[in-house]
Amino acid sequence: MSKKNKAKSQFVAVASIAAELSAVMYVAKEISLAAANAKAIAFRAGEQAKGFQPITDFINELAKETIQLVNEINEHAFSLYQMTVDDYRRVAACDAFAQVAKLAEGAPYADSLVESSNRAQQKMLTCQSNFKLHVSQLLEQLEAVMHPARAARVIAANSRIEASQAGEYLQSLQAVAESVDNAAQVIHDNVQRCKSALSIINISE
Amino acid sequence: MKMTKIYSGAYQWIMYGRDENKRSNIIDTNQYLIRTANKCLLLDPGGVELFAPMLAAVLHHAPVDQITDLFASHQDPDIISSLGLWDQALPHAKLHAPALWEGFLRHFGCESIEYVGIPDNGGQIQIENAELQIIPAHYLHSSANFHIYDPKAKILMSGDVGAALEADGSPIYVDNFDAHIEKMRFFHQRWMPSNQAKMNWIQRVRKLDIEIMAPQHGRIFKGDDVKRFLDWFEALQVGTAT
Repeated sequence: MSKKNKAKSQFVAVASIAAELSAVMYVAKEISLAAANAKAIAFRAGEQAKGFQPITDFINELAKETIQLVNEINEHAFSLYQMTVDDYRRVAACDAFAQVAKLAEGAPYADSLVESSNRAQQKMLTCQSNFKLHVSQLLEQLEAVMHPARAARVIAANSRIEASQAGEYLQSLQAVAESVDNAAQVIHDNVQRCKSALSIINISE
Repeated sequence: MKMTKIYSGAYQWIMYGRDENKRSNIIDTNQYLIRTANKCLLLDPGGVELFAPMLAAVLHHAPVDQITDLFASHQDPDIISSLGLWDQALPHAKLHAPALWEGFLRHFGCESIEYVGIPDNGGQIQIENAELQIIPAHYLHSSANFHIYDPKAKILMSGDVGAALEADGSPIYVDNFDAHIEKMRFFHQRWMPSNQAKMNWIQRVRKLDIEIMAPQHGRIFKGDDVKRFLDWFEALQVGTAT
């Protein structure tokens, strides 16, 4: 892959991550709402939904944790975007300096470009190695955000069991369990797509 | 890239333009270099497409570390979209450009170069023994626009004023003013929005002693053609598009 195409892939990958993360954030907020809703239902159901009440706190905690992790990942993804811009400019400068060197052959001061050229090359390499490091860190953070999503699915399964004992509130609580389960699945899928986008950058290096 | 020395005295003015390898769908531009003993000021360095041929041409006259100052008359891409590349080639240089455009120009990339904002009333730039005046030319055509006047060389670098649209490879100097008029008319009527701004500039410039008027596009005016241009421009109604 050429340097310029690589830079383009980086832009696309980082932009995809930002889009996926904003969807994750939306879903995490939905879980938080579902938790508040479940709490209200469980409160109304009283004794019939006694087992469901602590679950609502878990759901809320998971949503909060996801929101916090996504905020951190977002900050990281933004740094990665800035690094991509930086890398794009470094690559463009190195290419342009190579072109200048060719065009300036025989010019009395052609050699004076060497310092700028070496400096640009060095900065480009530093930039690329920083980028690589940040990609690894971001992959770790994405892995971390999968944990609450997995836990949410387990909780959703437990919620269904507890809901089955809630008499007239069965349907409402099952709907809550369903929505938590769906949201966890969406988060899982979106984060997986983020990881794939990042892997494409890693492969292209 | 064609290189033409337009003044040689205590220091030099060199014009760069008519790049034969320029793509035909981008407008041709004139760049100017003021070369003193140890420093250089590059005026309207050009678009990003032009960076490599431009720097390669400058290396015929000066080493990279002596290109200490850049000037951008306004914010247009053909003037200064190469800034991000100059920024990496000349990390210790200064860019003299309209203060009003700073936040906009930085989009081209300006991390290392020092941005020296020019206030609306202009100012001065001193490059060793070259003492240059920054002449306001607002709305001609950009809302914050400046020209450079060199009283020693009697040169006015007039940005887009005096520009002409013509075929690639045209001569450097105006050789027949009357024939040149039609090449300038559309440019001035369409890109210059204000008769008031035009008159203000003309009054200012008539007070200067000018031998050479050097625009950023087209040909350079010498001697009596400078006065002919001012008379023609004064009579021209600008901002005529509806």
